[in-house]
Amino acid sequence: MIGSAHLAGVVGARLVAASGITIPHIDYTAILPELILLGGMLLLLAAAALSPRPLPTEAYATATVGLATASLVTSLVLWRDVTDRGPLTTVAHSIDVDGFALFFLVTISCILVVAPMLGAGYLRRERISGPEYYVLALISGSGAMFMASANDLVLVFLGLEILSIPLYVLAGLDHRREASGEAAMKYFVLGAFSSAIFVYGIALTYGATGSTNLAEIGAFLARNVVTSDGVLIGGLGLLLVGFAFKVAAVPFHMWTPDVYQGAPTPATGFMAAMAKAGGFAALLRVFVSTFPSLRSSWQPVVFVLAALTLLVGAVVAVVQSDVKRMLSYSSINHAGFVLLGLQAATARGVAGSLYYVFTYGLVVLGSFAVVSLVGGSGEDRHDLARFRGLGRRQPVIATAFAVLLLAQAGAPFTTGFFAKLYVVEAAAAAHSYLLAAIAMGSAAIAAFFYLRVVFLMFSDAGAAAPAGEGATARAVEAARPAGIEPAGAAGGSWVPEPSGAVATMVAPVTRSAAADARSVSSGVVALDVSGEPPVATSPWILAGLGICVAVTVVFGVWPQPLVEFAHQATLLF
Amino acid sequence: MGSLDSYLPILILFVLALAFAGLSIFASKLLAPKRPTSAKEAPYECGIVPTEGPPQRFPVRFYLIAMIFVIFDIEIIFLFPWAVVYNELGRFGLVEIVVFAAAVFFSFLYLLANGALDWGPVKRIRPVTAAAQRTTSSTVRRVGAGSGEAA
Amino acid sequence: MSVHASWYLTLAALLFTIGAVGLLVRRNVLVMFMCIELMLNAANLTFVTFARALNDIGGQVAVFFVLVVAAAEVVVGLGIIVAIFRRKVGATADDAHLLKG
Repeated sequence: MIGSAHLAGVVGARLVAASGITIPHIDYTAILPELILLGGMLLLLAAAALSPRPLPTEAYATATVGLATASLVTSLVLWRDVTDRGPLTTVAHSIDVDGFALFFLVTISCILVVAPMLGAGYLRRERISGPEYYVLALISGSGAMFMASANDLVLVFLGLEILSIPLYVLAGLDHRREASGEAAMKYFVLGAFSSAIFVYGIALTYGATGSTNLAEIGAFLARNVVTSDGVLIGGLGLLLVGFAFKVAAVPFHMWTPDVYQGAPTPATGFMAAMAKAGGFAALLRVFVSTFPSLRSSWQPVVFVLAALTLLVGAVVAVVQSDVKRMLSYSSINHAGFVLLGLQAATARGVAGSLYYVFTYGLVVLGSFAVVSLVGGSGEDRHDLARFRGLGRRQPVIATAFAVLLLAQAGAPFTTGFFAKLYVVEAAAAAHSYLLAAIAMGSAAIAAFFYLRVVFLMFSDAGAAAPAGEGATARAVEAARPAGIEPAGAAGGSWVPEPSGAVATMVAPVTRSAAADARSVSSGVVALDVSGEPPVATSPWILAGLGICVAVTVVFGVWPQPLVEFAHQATLLF
Repeated sequence: MGSLDSYLPILILFVLALAFAGLSIFASKLLAPKRPTSAKEAPYECGIVPTEGPPQRFPVRFYLIAMIFVIFDIEIIFLFPWAVVYNELGRFGLVEIVVFAAAVFFSFLYLLANGALDWGPVKRIRPVTAAAQRTTSSTVRRVGAGSGEAA
Repeated sequence: MSVHASWYLTLAALLFTIGAVGLLVRRNVLVMFMCIELMLNAANLTFVTFARALNDIGGQVAVFFVLVVAAAEVVVGLGIIVAIFRRKVGATADDAHLLKG
């Protein structure tokens, strides 16, 4: 199984030494962002445990936003430090704080600033008290940060688990809803499966190269020409499968729609943003910077993954009638775009991927926040129909959602446009013309279902509503004497066939009225919706949503700083 | 093959244990008189004749305690290597392990505050809304009561 | 006495495959958990074997982390299971079928 020829060559890095332990130097400032999150998380937990009265959810949210802001500021300070003096390496070379890591640290901190704002209102509405949502989010964020700065496969694995395990719990946070528990279980079983595959991949890679340290693996591969080593290729393949599960790349995406649909909606947004940030950080670092010499082996595989992910995500999303599920498939489609940058495996591609992950994180958080608002308490109404006429009822929220959806579709003057532009450009520059074409095709398909929601929200349902109500009322009136159940007319889709002589007389009236109702079906739905409780916003959610939209628009109109940041990050990689 | 010699005593002990267990069972089968009565064959429960079978589902609390045990038990794994090289690590090792223990302790505090370790009637700091249909008769299944079998 | 490393690696590969196949074909959630454990332990065996063959302590250290993570993972998994199946009889994955489409 193991080629003894190259085994002999690599012994010596870390021999089993009987005497003396070199204590690793730990530069605590280099891992300060992670320490802030973890330390703050512990304090939050202790405060929750020791306070005599349960604290309001807003108190935890404030603390979490504060911690995330502190971590954001620290990351930016570290960024200045790193641009001045070069990357930091600490904890026996297992953590590498370079530009690449810091870009993700900033991204993750931003997600963590917004996520508690969007969660607070939801948790209050669903009467979920306690610090769990925030504590789990902080742990998960620190795990993603460790993944981004890990320079050792074991640490990548630890980061992956620190990222994932809280996400399993977050998916099942609302344990009174059965769907939430089911989502948690599905996520857990498939997540644990993918982790096991990932660990086995690390073990095989370790066996083939003699180290788990990415720098040492890179050095080994530079020294030795590995053309056909089954163990190494197998390990690499398993690593890729493990990552593909985490970032929901087709064909390892089966869990995504179910989990995203069942989980509490703010948790879904957080999950989508965070798992993709952490997963892609490690994926890009491991594959682009450590295994460039095996590019000919993994690039075709990533090509297939990316193509499938792009197409399946877009095509299946089109036929969804549940907005939450549609957004889950669209998140798969987005994963395909990020894979485009990986497939290119150039500095340009990586920079494009970084930019994409940053913009996608905030856009998806905001989108799911709107879905949670419109879904209403109890979280079981995510039908497309619920969004009809939202522009009239909730102009602010509808506008925000429209901006976020347009960003996802890649419309100009939003960050989504540049994100798609850069990765497609990178793919074309790397001569993956076919993949670039597939990406643009899938973007066109995806634009259809984003725009459908936007048109639904702003279709002039308001003007048609009274007429529609009248029509429905007429249909109901017409049906009643004949003893026909008017359930179908209210639904606007199905009218029961009347029977008997009297019914035959009434039938034309019913039919025409029903057709009338159908032709202005927007009005019928508006009638349907008016019975529902209104969308209850809270200042927290509005603030969070405001940040998401502001970032999307500001960096969409003026992308230079963010592009510069992503570009610099790949240079210090 | 020298290293195998050191395992010989263990092997002998293993064989002896098997032989003893087998012999005991065999001897009791051979020697003991068998005069079964219905009272003798009934399951023994502190001398009281059982009126119904034991509940098939245990209270969730048992599982909770078991899970908490597993988590705290496995944390010990990090203490062993630390204890082995304690002297060489010096102050650095002490500080690190204290930080580690503190992190574990905070989660322990959380457990305590949530009443995860309380036996007896449940008192929780935070109110928990339970489904109305959850009663002792609906959640604890008796043997023979249901036709379906728990997996 | 020494057994060649490839035997251990083959055993680990077998265990891993059994775990993976078991996870995909079994329907009892607890058995699925056991399969995950089997896969993780197969990885551990691989780590230890390579650590021995390479004469490098790194692989053994990795096992520590994998063990602890596996324990944490299973506890979270059991917690989720208990939370779901408190109201149901039996722990079959097919019972959880609310989400599809």
